[in-house]
Amino acid sequence: MLKQRQLEENFIAMSRQKIAIVPGDPSGIGPEIVAKLLTQDGVKDAADILLIGDSHLWERGAKQANTEIELATITEDQTAHFTGCAHLNMHSIDPKDVKVAKVTVASGTSALRCLDKAMDLAVAGHVDCILFAPFNKAAMTSAGLKAEDEHRYMARYLGFRGYHSEINVLDDLMTTRVTSHIGLKDVAANIDEQGILRAVQLAEQTLRRAGKTRPSIAVAALNPHAGDNGKFGREEIDIIEPAIRFCQSKQINVSGPWPSDTVFLKAKRGEVDAVVTMYHDQGQIAIKLLGFERGVTVAGGLPLPIATPAHGTAFDIAGQNQANASAIRQAFDLLLRMAKTHSETSERRSKSDPIYAEGNNSVTW
Amino acid sequence: MRNLPIALTCGEPAGIGVELAHKAWQSLRHELSFFWIGDPRHLDQYLPFKTISKPLDARDVMPEALPVLEHRFETKVTFGCPDVANSQGVINVIEKAVDLIRDKQASSLCTLPIHKQALKDGADFQYPGHTEFLAFLAGVDHVVMMLSGPNLKVVPATIHIPLRDVPDALNTVELEKTISIVRKALIEKFSISDPRIAVAGLNPHAGESGKFGQEELTVIMPVIQKLQAKHWRVTGPNSADTLFYKAAREKYDVAIAMYHDQALIPIKTLDFDAGVNVTLGLPFVRTSPDHGTALDIAGKGIANPTSTIEALQLAARLSSQE
Repeated sequence: MLKQRQLEENFIAMSRQKIAIVPGDPSGIGPEIVAKLLTQDGVKDAADILLIGDSHLWERGAKQANTEIELATITEDQTAHFTGCAHLNMHSIDPKDVKVAKVTVASGTSALRCLDKAMDLAVAGHVDCILFAPFNKAAMTSAGLKAEDEHRYMARYLGFRGYHSEINVLDDLMTTRVTSHIGLKDVAANIDEQGILRAVQLAEQTLRRAGKTRPSIAVAALNPHAGDNGKFGREEIDIIEPAIRFCQSKQINVSGPWPSDTVFLKAKRGEVDAVVTMYHDQGQIAIKLLGFERGVTVAGGLPLPIATPAHGTAFDIAGQNQANASAIRQAFDLLLRMAKTHSETSERRSKSDPIYAEGNNSVTW
Repeated sequence: MRNLPIALTCGEPAGIGVELAHKAWQSLRHELSFFWIGDPRHLDQYLPFKTISKPLDARDVMPEALPVLEHRFETKVTFGCPDVANSQGVINVIEKAVDLIRDKQASSLCTLPIHKQALKDGADFQYPGHTEFLAFLAGVDHVVMMLSGPNLKVVPATIHIPLRDVPDALNTVELEKTISIVRKALIEKFSISDPRIAVAGLNPHAGESGKFGQEELTVIMPVIQKLQAKHWRVTGPNSADTLFYKAAREKYDVAIAMYHDQALIPIKTLDFDAGVNVTLGLPFVRTSPDHGTALDIAGKGIANPTSTIEALQLAARLSSQE
């Protein structure tokens, strides 16, 4: 009997997901919201957690959050077999260089070093997914970040060359975009069937990874009133509709083009799981309006689940115990769902996913 | 103007307009007075309506029946199928309403949705919508469309043009005119003494200092600075994605968006049923529900009248300020 129970306990322990958490920018609210996350019900029981970062950062975060943190520090070798809530100490920043609400080279360097370590451990298979608290782009750039943003940086670091893009998640709604950080005047010229297909695929794939078996995807139009039969622009007729028909022919459950002023109501009513948007603000306006405190950003397409709260470093309230930990909790829960699907399906995936069955391997874990 | 009734134009008779007119009458019969202009044959004959000979009679009729100022159309209607034979009638009703307001027989205008394609096919109507047609009728060159809901007022600086044409359509002169018209209307009609106006950027993150587009620097910023120099409470350019959530909305009375969907996404997502369209810059008050003819549900009795009711209420409130 004892042996049986031992086996079961081991089995449960083995099937728990391992999540790495990094503190993000030390000048912002990152350490504080992680400290708050760890005190929430059901967090420590839900996964094996590895905090990767300087002990003084975690302690500072706990102090800011008016709570306490027990750091069960382990060596890097031990990360291969850690359980419970463990801590891998880093020496990424000197305590005296931590400046609340300041963009500094030291803070950017610290954020990147901890992230690098998390990715190293993920590649080694010691953790299944990575949750990072918000970064400050200016700090990282001053610390030598060459990539345009952290998503591209991570892709490069992981040696991933396939398609990847930021995905915005709010509760049960996901948005992907065909164009992102470009001027509005360049949007129309950058809308093509290939781009739409990629954004649809990315939404479909990420939703499946988050546990949806047959995700429903709505594609937004580009022009007012979806162009009103070509009167206010022809991209719907010439590009978006053909792209949607192509996706439908590949058995993807996709519809559109929907006028962008009502497509998010469909999402609000739960009629669709994802909206593919044509440009940055089309999705971001709606998603931030619907739940500014709960949004999550997923590094879509990357070979392992990585996510972060959608909000930023919030320098205006850093260090004041005012930061809200609901977005980081959403990110935590989503990552565990994705990591679970990942581990369950990583071997079967190539056969079961219609996109891959087509021989399209532009997106892989 | 306080005691004059509102003119409600029938719009596309094959759409949900007739149903909305009756539902709005039921809801507002003891609150304000309006009269519907259109062909009585298009109305539900089992519901109370009464033909009036002049707008002023609307007040007496209102408690008992929908007041109707008759305008004869070519034919009857089949719901869901606009008949081009009626297109000229739809246009004439709008013209008639404007004439009545000019003659001081009506206080203000509320328009029910038109079907632009039917008007184009049947009467060679060349305007993109009501707003532009009314500007023509009133002889003004610059009008502004404002969307007003319980949670947000927002004005798109450009309206019915392809997204690719938006950057070229923006310029300092027009943007300044738009903001000036909005400010004047908020002071005079909405009784906001020193309106707070938040201007959105055009590009992601409001261009991030020129990294994703120059329009913030070349068009939007100069206008804001010029108006701020007059001590107007104008802010921006604000990143559009963080301009519309609750805490942000509390910091302004009206938001100025750069293009149609930048304004329509937030207003519809927030207040789908209750949003009202207001035209600013006309010599009279004009409101309308912010939805279309809904041909797919016309005649079924299921159209939601909230936006029409709010539009009539707003028309009454705004014209009482005159």
